[in-house]
Amino acid sequence: MDQTKQQEEDYGYNLFPGRKKSKYKKGSIVESLFTFNHKCQAMLQFAVETSPYAKLLLGAMKNSGCTVYKDRHFSCEDCDGTVSGGFDATTSQIVLCQNNIHQQAHMNRVVTHELIHAFDHCRAHVDWFNNFKHLACSEIRAANLSGECSFTNELSRLNFGLNQQHQECVRRCALRSILAVRKISREKAEKVLDEVFDSCFHDHTPFGRIPHSKKDARFAYRDFESRDRYYANL
Amino acid sequence: MMAGSESWRPPRECDVYWSEYKHCKRLWHRFHHYYTFGTSPLCQQWKDDYGACRDWEKTHSAHAKECLQESERKRVSEQRNVTPVWELREKPPADWHMPLNQDKSQDS
Repeated sequence: MDQTKQQEEDYGYNLFPGRKKSKYKKGSIVESLFTFNHKCQAMLQFAVETSPYAKLLLGAMKNSGCTVYKDRHFSCEDCDGTVSGGFDATTSQIVLCQNNIHQQAHMNRVVTHELIHAFDHCRAHVDWFNNFKHLACSEIRAANLSGECSFTNELSRLNFGLNQQHQECVRRCALRSILAVRKISREKAEKVLDEVFDSCFHDHTPFGRIPHSKKDARFAYRDFESRDRYYANL
Repeated sequence: MMAGSESWRPPRECDVYWSEYKHCKRLWHRFHHYYTFGTSPLCQQWKDDYGACRDWEKTHSAHAKECLQESERKRVSEQRNVTPVWELREKPPADWHMPLNQDKSQDS
């Protein structure tokens, strides 16, 4: 990539101004008065303790050598626009947009989505910045496995299709995520998605299934907890 | 690592096979399977596995064990039947646990 292109591409960091400079000192009274930081922290705590999606991912990451520590690997920050969160591979941090996440169900989905990126970063050599196929694959997996393309969520977006609508949603969400963080044409992004979709849509690690619902996620978590017995007796 | 034949037991508790079967047959799950894949889910294998599991618990038959192992190996094989886009790591990223830089400027 030549210097001109490097100067133009900011890899989506413009959406997360808190990554470079915090407006308020972390943990300060001013921060707690003028931001949703405490609410974000509380919802995050609830998500990691109760969401079967999050618990499974945290367990799988620990198993892969990437134990997640809330204070180290999560950061509640103000973000631009309507973005809900992101994974910063340079600092190994999940960013949660405290000004855009106001409901627990939304927090649960964002935490799951970003933990999938973190899990992919932990288990594979993902070239986030230079390989669009890698970025697209992780976005497909995150949209597919986080529950954000469930029937009820699609209904709330006024998308009423039924036959394989989940896949249409995954494509749409992955495309939107790629376009938000990379200066790439829609046509090129769609082409990259097509190239990797089949492989990445069917990669359900670490869930072993597509968790359409909390019950699916609980079953997947049950399987994860019993994995030693499972593989020992195959 | 495979468990020795003397210590072998079904890969899952028998009740788990039954709960997977019941879950698979539920209308909401069947709907979501169609919503995702455009087809109905195949649930019979869970029921067959439950039967084999119970059979093994009662009789420790080699046939029941083989049926269960074959079914589960097929499930694993289907899950692994993807060509990875990326290369898997042998070790986690070296900087995963490193402390953050403290050079972000902050208002006091």
